[in-house]
Amino acid sequence: MPVELEVKGLEVFYQGAIQALTDLNVRVPEGSIVALLGANGAGKTTTLKAISNFLPLEDGRVTRGSITIGGDDMLKLPPHEIVRRGVFHVREGRHVFSELTVEENLVAATFAHRTKRSRKDMYEEVYSYFPILSERRNQPAGYLSGGEQQMLAIGRAIVADPELILLDEPSLGLAPLIVADIFEIIARINREKKVSMLLVEQNAVIALKYASYGYVLETGRTVLEGTTEQLSANEDIQKYYLGVETDAA
Amino acid sequence: MSPMQLFIEYSIVGIAAGGIYALIALGIIVIFKASHTFNFAMGEMMMLSAYFFYAATVTFTLGPVVGMIVAMVGSILVALVIERVAIRPMLGRPFIAIVMVTFGIGSIIRGVVGMVWGPNEMNIPAILSRSPVMLGDIFVPGKTARAFAIAVVIVVGLIAYLRFSRAGVALRAAAESAVTAYSMGINVRNVVAFSWIIAAITGCISGVLMANVNTLTPHLGMIALNVLSVVILGGMASIGGVLVAGFIIGWLEAITGLFLPSEFREITPYVLVLIILLVKPTGLFGGKEVERI
Repeated sequence: MPVELEVKGLEVFYQGAIQALTDLNVRVPEGSIVALLGANGAGKTTTLKAISNFLPLEDGRVTRGSITIGGDDMLKLPPHEIVRRGVFHVREGRHVFSELTVEENLVAATFAHRTKRSRKDMYEEVYSYFPILSERRNQPAGYLSGGEQQMLAIGRAIVADPELILLDEPSLGLAPLIVADIFEIIARINREKKVSMLLVEQNAVIALKYASYGYVLETGRTVLEGTTEQLSANEDIQKYYLGVETDAA
Repeated sequence: MSPMQLFIEYSIVGIAAGGIYALIALGIIVIFKASHTFNFAMGEMMMLSAYFFYAATVTFTLGPVVGMIVAMVGSILVALVIERVAIRPMLGRPFIAIVMVTFGIGSIIRGVVGMVWGPNEMNIPAILSRSPVMLGDIFVPGKTARAFAIAVVIVVGLIAYLRFSRAGVALRAAAESAVTAYSMGINVRNVVAFSWIIAAITGCISGVLMANVNTLTPHLGMIALNVLSVVILGGMASIGGVLVAGFIIGWLEAITGLFLPSEFREITPYVLVLIILLVKPTGLFGGKEVERI
């Protein structure tokens, strides 16, 4: 059965009054990387939080629409249960456990029980993608650099062995060279582990480079979608997201 | 005996008494880590455990080993009921509201125990030998010394367990951020229940030891308030700090008893906490968070 994420007609309110999403439609086919583009406040992060069901923790609620994975309804499941169903949310701002060591951070991601492989095997796999983490495995994660913390946040996702990773702003606050490194590894994980990804990224150039399909969000609805080639060729996208100067009208 | 020798002897006996307090402190800290709340019912949980032991060994004339098992199972069940019925629905509410709930639970337990077993002092079968232990010239009462040894072994064992086991990682992860722990697939509610089980275990052992060293009364658990104050003093930060916290209280109690009338023993921990918090509001060991410079 294809494990495909489908979000249909999603409407979300915060505190029962502030509308964050009005009509959001997103599909992530198995094994693909799909990008969500849009300005601040368009609803990109809210979409990810709706999928991983973190909205109730911020007094938010899905009021209409559906979220299914492989046909299963995800809307009513608690967050830890959604991880166990194979959806891992790498939140914006990395959120490593700074007082736990690097390896303990990886241990913390073993509670989803999704793989039959040994835990040690999973840690070694993370270290093979991110050798620098291996050198630092016994250091508190709070002492890592921003880029290393992002690597650890993605490493935890690898340990949980999900079908789908929700990636929220992995480039945030990182130097361009490190961003390039991290995206190369994200692409490798996608290829080698056949895990699909829903990517939220301010940096549209890099998002369109690595994703195969994209959606553009505006004030809580999907206004434009297409393959990343189509989106890259779109004049509005070039003008507002890629910073390409088009001929003056 | 010279004043110096007297001071050393009192100090050693005090620190020996502190082993039990370290057990209590561990129970308090583990619950604090999991759910960021002070458990004001800790003392009553330990007192109730001692009454369970009394019921099993005296009323039902079971042996001390079976009695201990009965007390342990009973304590864990009570802790799980408290967590499920009173604490879980309160998670996410203001800190003070949960603290007041634990305070209320403590009063209920005290009341129920008073109704069932009455207010009088009772004795439980001796499980600790009275024969004194000599450290060089210093005489340490037998029960106190043995209770200390048992308590320290269990505290160190539990600390090691929390340090090296996956359950310990889950607890510390949830302590740092419940939201992030959820996003790892950790069921944080189970972590909270787990913390109450640990508290029930430390409460049960400390309660039975305490009833052995002293006598059994409904006020057996009052000492837990002193322990709580010293745990706050430590900044609530470190699980490893419980031994220090326990020893400080035991030592303070003994030394106060040496220099001042016995009424002062009740207040010295609070006075100390007040002074330290005035000087260092984050507590002795607290407030230092890992952060990249």
